[in-house]
Amino acid sequence: MINLLDFQKPQRYIGNEGNVSRKSPQGKIRICLSFPDLYEVGMSNLGLRVIYGFLNEHEDVACERVFMPGEDMANFLKKSGEPLFSLETKSPMQSFEVLGYHLGYELNAINFLHMLNLGKVSLCKEKRGNLIVLAGGIMNPEPLAEFVDVFYLGEFEAGAGFFLEILRRHKAKNERLKALSQVPGFYVPEFYSFDRSRGALNIVKSFSQAQYPLKRSHVRNLDSAYYPSRWLTPLTSIVHDRAQVEIARGCPNSCNFCQAQAVYSPYRERSMRRVKELVTEIYKNSGYENISLLSLSASDYSSIENLIDEIYDFCKINRIGLSLPSLRIDDITGRLCKQLSLLKKTSLTVALEAARSPLRCLLNKNIAIDKLFNAALTARKLGMRHIKIYFMFGFEQEKEADLRAIGGLIDKLRSVSKLNVYASINAFIPKPFSAWEKFSMQKKEILEDKKRLILESVPHRKDFKISFAPIEKSLIEAAISRSGRSFSKVIYNAYVKGTRLNGYSERFSWDIWQESLDYAGLKLEDILNYKGPEFPWSFIKKNL
Amino acid sequence: MEKYALKVIFKKSGEMIYFSQLDLIHILERALRRSGLPLYFTQGFSPRVKISFYSGLKLGLEGDIQAQLYFRSQISFLEFKTCLSKELPAGLSLIGEMK
Repeated sequence: MINLLDFQKPQRYIGNEGNVSRKSPQGKIRICLSFPDLYEVGMSNLGLRVIYGFLNEHEDVACERVFMPGEDMANFLKKSGEPLFSLETKSPMQSFEVLGYHLGYELNAINFLHMLNLGKVSLCKEKRGNLIVLAGGIMNPEPLAEFVDVFYLGEFEAGAGFFLEILRRHKAKNERLKALSQVPGFYVPEFYSFDRSRGALNIVKSFSQAQYPLKRSHVRNLDSAYYPSRWLTPLTSIVHDRAQVEIARGCPNSCNFCQAQAVYSPYRERSMRRVKELVTEIYKNSGYENISLLSLSASDYSSIENLIDEIYDFCKINRIGLSLPSLRIDDITGRLCKQLSLLKKTSLTVALEAARSPLRCLLNKNIAIDKLFNAALTARKLGMRHIKIYFMFGFEQEKEADLRAIGGLIDKLRSVSKLNVYASINAFIPKPFSAWEKFSMQKKEILEDKKRLILESVPHRKDFKISFAPIEKSLIEAAISRSGRSFSKVIYNAYVKGTRLNGYSERFSWDIWQESLDYAGLKLEDILNYKGPEFPWSFIKKNL
Repeated sequence: MEKYALKVIFKKSGEMIYFSQLDLIHILERALRRSGLPLYFTQGFSPRVKISFYSGLKLGLEGDIQAQLYFRSQISFLEFKTCLSKELPAGLSLIGEMK
């Protein structure tokens, strides 16, 4: 017996949230959604909630959850030999028919392998019996193709119904995989092999009916798509501790570096009527004191002012804090200014990306700098306390002046607005499917020099904070996102060597990754410099 | 705005022993918000349901928690119990009114 009081945050392992599924698994299709990060992070993920709710709507399905356990729990399980268990019925992971993984963040690949191992599920696909490991949220599936039985490419709501139908109709794993491989969005890697020996990418199929080319699938109409109004309400704090109503999916802008814009296309909006209905229902079912209207860019919602007007009274009467996390600065000084004063907003977030306008133009990120200063002043007047600003560096086209301008800009922003400024500065990673997927990532030494230049430009003060993602971490993130199947050997070795929870900078081990690259006979520079024309993910069609 | 206090005793047991006093504040606030009772909110920019605790319980312990809650109108204990009980998670129950 596990005494949960021996562990940090025992709340992570209870599974008694509001609106949790209380189904008895007997005679039902058993699916366990598995999130390769801690409870507090995973519970903040909207996709997990959508899929959990959707699957449990079906009477013949019992869907449960498991998260990456804390280090103390992981060590205990390893030592005691007890398998990692689901939250709802405390069932060992092997007792499910399907483990559904969210693999949205590259560096969580290690946690993914670790969780399988803790759940006593073989990393080797052939040795899993009838159990299917399904994974989604990943743009380039190839580096994990050795470990995953079937990937879902795109938005799972669009394929979940077909998925259940196939699980009902077929019982053997092989039959299920064959049937799935014929449904849009599902990709069964073992049915395809890639031959690059003659330059161009040549696909060989071992199951002739498996679809090719593969396409990402998406929901056409957000109003008729499932949304979890019986909001799973945690009884302890999580990272984003608020109920979320997604108002739009995709983004009508086209910044060249952006992967999300490219993969979540086309841009779709949920109707005002439906958003209002969801806000009301979710509040009644959860009692959440904060509700956030979610989208990549709320400012682009076609009638955002009307939407806020529609919801505002309900929120005011019920004392609900309403937040809009993704506003454009133009709106803060313009049409939404008056409404913002009514909303709960303690900070302004601006993804400026580059300090000087020529570089911003190249990125296709058109923000006028005077508008930024106006917005910051308005933010101050509205009672906001800080401004978060994002920058990227490591572009080939970038000049020294671009880097040196970052510090001055932050300083000016602080002194003009009198707000605390938090800057987050990250190296550019050319992500698959983005407009700049063909670019290479700059070398470690160059990036480090550039980082130094930026830091030199920043005066040392207490009222602003600058954070850099470690460059080594960004390089490995880039390598995982851009590699082919051969990279699975690197991931496997890094896992065996004991690197864990790599998403957390203090846990990231550059040495282990370098050693693992050597072990697999791969060179980081080759992966990051590779310019195509065919990429490991080129067999998946871009959304148009 | 008038506020009417109600002093009650909750019992924390079973699975709820793993939840801290801080968690309990949120659990109660959300349960109260779902209950439809006429809640009294604190003033200011981030209004919260007003709850005062007389004592806390250490993580891992079963026991009683005394709390004072506030409403916009007079609420009888029975009325309160009827509306709130169905909103409380297993392991958190309402055992009585404090005189």
